[in-house]
Amino acid sequence: MILSKIPTSGSNIPPLGIPSPGLPTPSSNVALRILRALASLKLTLVLIILLLAGVLIIYYTHTRFVWALAVPFIGFAINLAATVLTNPVFRRQMALLIFHLALIAIAVLIALDWLTYLKGRIEIVEGETFTGQTMSEESGPLHNRRLGKLQLTNENFTVNYTNTDGRLRRTDTRNQVAWVAPDGRSGRSVIGDQEPLLLGGYRFYTTTNKGFAPIFSWRPADGSAEKIGAVHLPSFPRDYLQQKNEWKPPGSSTSVWILLQMEEEIFSRDKPSELRVPDKHKIVVRLNAPQGDNDQRWELKPGDSVPLPDGVLTYQELRKWMGYDVSYNFTLPWLLAASVLAVLSMAWHFWRKFSARPWNPSSGNPNSGNTNAENPGPEHFQQAAADTTADEPGK
Amino acid sequence: MELQILWVALVTYVLAGSLSIIGFVMQRKPERAILALLVLGVVLHTTAIALRWERMGHGPYITMFEALSSGIWNLLLIYTLVYWRIPAIRATAAIIMPILFLMMGWMMMFTPSEVGHKPQVYHTIWLYIHIGFAKVFISTVFIAVGISGIILSRRTEYGAMRFAHLPNDSRLDDLSFRFMAVAMIFQTLMLITGAIWAQDAWGRYWDWDPLETWAFITWLFVIFSLHLRHTYKTKPHTGALLVIGVFIMAFLVFFGVPFVSTDFHQGVGRS
Repeated sequence: MILSKIPTSGSNIPPLGIPSPGLPTPSSNVALRILRALASLKLTLVLIILLLAGVLIIYYTHTRFVWALAVPFIGFAINLAATVLTNPVFRRQMALLIFHLALIAIAVLIALDWLTYLKGRIEIVEGETFTGQTMSEESGPLHNRRLGKLQLTNENFTVNYTNTDGRLRRTDTRNQVAWVAPDGRSGRSVIGDQEPLLLGGYRFYTTTNKGFAPIFSWRPADGSAEKIGAVHLPSFPRDYLQQKNEWKPPGSSTSVWILLQMEEEIFSRDKPSELRVPDKHKIVVRLNAPQGDNDQRWELKPGDSVPLPDGVLTYQELRKWMGYDVSYNFTLPWLLAASVLAVLSMAWHFWRKFSARPWNPSSGNPNSGNTNAENPGPEHFQQAAADTTADEPGK
Repeated sequence: MELQILWVALVTYVLAGSLSIIGFVMQRKPERAILALLVLGVVLHTTAIALRWERMGHGPYITMFEALSSGIWNLLLIYTLVYWRIPAIRATAAIIMPILFLMMGWMMMFTPSEVGHKPQVYHTIWLYIHIGFAKVFISTVFIAVGISGIILSRRTEYGAMRFAHLPNDSRLDDLSFRFMAVAMIFQTLMLITGAIWAQDAWGRYWDWDPLETWAFITWLFVIFSLHLRHTYKTKPHTGALLVIGVFIMAFLVFFGVPFVSTDFHQGVGRS
């Protein structure tokens, strides 16, 4: 496709994949003409413009409009394949052949990625185990979901901060996790920042999204079994002033509004500090929203209980939760390999092409400047001819 | 200390640029003197950047002042190398240097901050590889811009007279095509290594953030311009206009992002 020329006249070398035209039939000629049309460099230009338009559509509409990219990519795959099949220059120029095959591989791998990817977000409280339930996720139609077959326990994590230039700056994140893979293997790892956990083909990354989670026990009034759960408060310190949430205990129709009131500074103003659970804090519990008519309010310390209409809510302790990005892209290493192969072969091709003629063109004669810009002299024509036929067979 | 060295380096660049402009107007070729000044300027500038790096504990990529300083440095480092090795492009100094004067003036509008935080996502070798490829890309496009400037200025009587001693337009066009092809290789490598870095840093290799999206659009524009030049065998001045278009786009992407985002990539400074 790039910088290769489709021969317009007959060639002595049969095109790759096309039978040698001993006795060409009209149908094979038509097929060849179609293939050559599909291999057109002008079509490549159109496809580049289509891809550009697709990128702009996705960027400005903030939608995952797959067809905006799928159409040009499918077009590229066809264009590239037709070029490889019909252009005999590839049998002489290995670099060009590798480059085009790598581009085809990239197009195929991107398509496979769209069909099989998974992207999701999860939040796990310290001590809690993730068993496959994401907070949000999207996936390709052919994704074989195996998240439920693995386990990931957030054992504990540290996020360090420094105070630079009057601003709180996050430094390193370290998260100790225990895991069980789909095949039954288990272990412990420390992840964080640039180090994900690879488990059953999924990648788990810690994120900057993390915060506090009060742990409650709920004893229903109907005598059924007590349940323990966590309420995730908004991200901290990003939503420092919004440490509240509203939720209903399991099986209850009562909406409970809770607020974390910290009675100490978490971060130091003059030395590095760490995200930690505040020692001095209380949980404010309200029935109905604060603006409600029948407002009831309690301030809870660990161990305190609140009698609600359909059960008893007991505040146990405050922990931290960590937000993770989980992704599945099995094509990732292959995509990288194909991309590197494409760029290296392209560099190889240019190297051969450019080293054939000196980089230092000889200085022109006094008449070789502006005068030949529009009306090139013989030297220019000779040069242009060499350019045009550089990739032609037999040159 | 490093600031004084930096100012001396800038003065040296200005002398080199002024000499090239005088040479252009007077139809003289003080190439050895220009090369000597460029080399001296780059050596001084390298020293200033190294001293600041050592003192601040981070490379020249945190503040806008540092980004512009290192941008000028890499443009001139690669330009000086090419100036030395390819005499045919030496006349481009009269076109290239005034653009750099503007960048230097822009840089001096920023206060060289004494504080700076290196975000956690910058603690990776991929950052240096990614930025290194980006710098080679923009530098090679910059040289092609100089050559394109000659091709375009030769469309005027004055330019044709002043640049008459240079190779003809088609040869210069071929040379600018070569630099753009090299730029395309390095830009591709920049995108690949950027994706590797993003995968490590944010758990995704692509997320349509403004910088990565516009960098990709610039890449498509580079590919398009190379293809157009090859497919239609465009005239030298058309190729020159395409090169200048690519440079403007790349420059806006590289240095325009801080106007819409406080970080070079969205999310770098999240707490």
